[in-house]
Amino acid sequence: MNIDNFVEDVKKCRFCFMCRHLSGVANVSFRESDTPRIRSSMVWGVVLDRLKLSNPDFIETIYSSDMSAACRFHCVNKWDENGIVLAARRDIVEAGFAPVEVSKLAKKFAAIPAAPKFSGKAELLYYVDADTAALATESAAFEKLAKAAGVKFAVATEGDCGKALKVLGYAEDAKKKLAEFVEALNASGAKKIVVSSPYVYDALVNDVAEDGLKLSAKVMHVSEFAATAKIKYAKKAGSVYYLESDYLKNYNDNLKFPRALLAKIKAKSPQEFTTDIQETPIEFMFGTNNEESYTCGEGAVVLNVIRPGLVRKMAKYVESKADDVKNDVVIVASPYTKIQLAKNTKLNVFTLAEIAAQCL
Amino acid sequence: MFVSKDNYMFEMIRTELADAVGADFVNTGDSDKFGHSIDYYWIPEMWHDRGMPTPKPDFVVHPGSAEEVAKVMKIANQYKIPVVTWGGGSGSQGGALPIAGGIILDTKRMNRVLAIDEESLTVTAETGIIMRQLEWAVNKRGYSTMHLPASIACATIGGFLAHRGTGVLSTKWGKIEDMVMSLEVVTPTGEIINTLPVPRHASGPDLTMMFLGSEGTLGVITKVCLKIHPKPEERQFRAYLFKDFHTAMSAGADLMRSRLRPCAVRLYDETETLTHVKKVFGIDIGSGAYLVFGFDGNKDIVELQMKYAREIMEGKYKGTDLGSKGGDLWWKNKYKFFYPGYMFHLPQAFGTLDTVADFAHIEKVYWAMKKVVNEKFPKARFIGHFSHWYEWGCMLYARFIFEGRDVPQDPREAAALYNAVWDAAIRAAIENGGVINEHHGVGLKLGRYMKDLYKNSFPILEGIKNTLDPNHIMNPGKMGL
Repeated sequence: MNIDNFVEDVKKCRFCFMCRHLSGVANVSFRESDTPRIRSSMVWGVVLDRLKLSNPDFIETIYSSDMSAACRFHCVNKWDENGIVLAARRDIVEAGFAPVEVSKLAKKFAAIPAAPKFSGKAELLYYVDADTAALATESAAFEKLAKAAGVKFAVATEGDCGKALKVLGYAEDAKKKLAEFVEALNASGAKKIVVSSPYVYDALVNDVAEDGLKLSAKVMHVSEFAATAKIKYAKKAGSVYYLESDYLKNYNDNLKFPRALLAKIKAKSPQEFTTDIQETPIEFMFGTNNEESYTCGEGAVVLNVIRPGLVRKMAKYVESKADDVKNDVVIVASPYTKIQLAKNTKLNVFTLAEIAAQCL
Repeated sequence: MFVSKDNYMFEMIRTELADAVGADFVNTGDSDKFGHSIDYYWIPEMWHDRGMPTPKPDFVVHPGSAEEVAKVMKIANQYKIPVVTWGGGSGSQGGALPIAGGIILDTKRMNRVLAIDEESLTVTAETGIIMRQLEWAVNKRGYSTMHLPASIACATIGGFLAHRGTGVLSTKWGKIEDMVMSLEVVTPTGEIINTLPVPRHASGPDLTMMFLGSEGTLGVITKVCLKIHPKPEERQFRAYLFKDFHTAMSAGADLMRSRLRPCAVRLYDETETLTHVKKVFGIDIGSGAYLVFGFDGNKDIVELQMKYAREIMEGKYKGTDLGSKGGDLWWKNKYKFFYPGYMFHLPQAFGTLDTVADFAHIEKVYWAMKKVVNEKFPKARFIGHFSHWYEWGCMLYARFIFEGRDVPQDPREAAALYNAVWDAAIRAAIENGGVINEHHGVGLKLGRYMKDLYKNSFPILEGIKNTLDPNHIMNPGKMGL
């Protein structure tokens, strides 16, 4: 079983409470079983007794994880509870126990051709994934930024990098998807690929390496492009709060480029305060800390589809942490998070690309 | 099981609970029940590790207010169902384990910060809030609760109140009971009461103190008003190495007798200095006993206190100055030890023999515990540090550790060995003037020693219990009650 590869992590996480406060799902469900500790303990139960894999409550809990990896980022030894959940999902799928909503969604993704469609050829390629396509202002913002930078670019649309399939537990299908996706990107001749969705960034950085693939282009999140390209920003962004991205921060340790961009557009950190127990930078901090995930499930890619009620609660939780719901300007890294917050809260939410484009 | 799921009474009770707190907040699934069957106590962890079933609740309820807690209590009394209050589930004493089934009353939905009073410097919060979230909330306004224990990320403020918790800055800022202004409590029979609004008065015995440390046996604490403090301008630490534990203890006791006001003092015995300091802080300081202390407040006052403290350390006791770096490393890594990879871990068997005593007895307690553990259990390692210092004495954070190869595979035999160590060590501590314990609480683990500890005053505790909880539904089997 795949969980057997994570037995050491299971043993470490099953009785550890040190990341309890960062349980994005448990903080809104209040269920102890939605914490990394109990998920790991339950997986230990499966390690000892394989029959427990089919327990519907266990399966429901494993698929309710937001996979933010906030726990791993926080952990001094980087034990990988996220990896445990992913392995358990693979085992559930391989044993034929995937819940209906999951298998339905997987079929939908499986039917999408992996290779994107290209608008033309250029050294810089901007990839519009499904979430970015659902947020028209995002690609419009990138176009403005690229124009301001004087850079020619081609656009890739549709296609699928396989990330959703991967997080749902369909590892082999995801691998094939990613290979085809990468092959198409390599064939495009692009030297730089800019993406807006952090999950695509992670797929093209970490999953590509994990699968032994080779991507010929350098991958950039749109925030890196906007922060490093020769763009003159005429307006100041004003006071903003920044909500960290799961995939940029927790999976890729990328705290730098979103902040570099905010600095470049002269965004003002609304309030900085010190604490004895803060491990992440305090600039642009939303709520009371930068450690909790406020992405509404970005790490789980499609949590909004398989657990819509939970995502609604997570969005409301984010709203409850705002200083001034009506007037705060909240910046997010991913179109996914913006869509969930816009749909479920009254917060003024912009993506990094959107706010940068507004400052041109 | 209180009643079988197949019994229609199960559905009758679930319906009433759902009416009290909302259907979404009554859980009976396997995951939920399992999630409330293991805390941080070694016995249930070991039991689960060996594939044994752990005692589970029948219902997990998440009330959203004191009023909803009161409704749950009335239902529980009606049917005489056990109620175990659960905060973060991070207790090490088995205090929140549902050993008799029944209702787990999980408080985490009651997690609001209700008010920060900047005139009186207090914060009022519901007790289901995770302590770290509460601390962050007051930090944002420029204050601190000064309650910074290692379990800050996982325990609720209610858990600390229920177990008389202590943070790393206890020497100056006090234990949780020193931080409390007042409480709101739901009694076992479902009445919502408030203790007096200020902690210093001459209006009779102190009900606040009676509920603190009651571990869910006398009611459910639903709201607390705590003192808060402006963030100090300066916090400095310094560490010293002494030739042996006795010399370091004498230096530490002198520091406290001097009536300087350190915010923290910690002393590691020779064994723990060799292992812990090197492993966690990454510094090799050689053999001896490591003592670290700190001061916080206005910079000039901190510096002056540090000057006098250094004179105590370096004069009569000839401590080797490890400098501020040696002290800052401790502060920086204060929680690191508790992460997996540093913390003791199954298959090891380990326990924290938390004991507190005055300076006249603390060394005797240490040596008595060490002797009995070493003699009776030669395969166990005994280490200790002294971590919450007061004007009159300090807390011994002694630990015993068996390596996995020395722990029986049979879970019953493993539990028997484990309990035997506790019996020997705790009785040695009590006989030598120690009190169990300083901040972990009693729970299931230490309940059997309560009569030894309280002697002929224990019936008073039993009388209070009988009066407040006539049906004995609140956390049965804990604290020896």
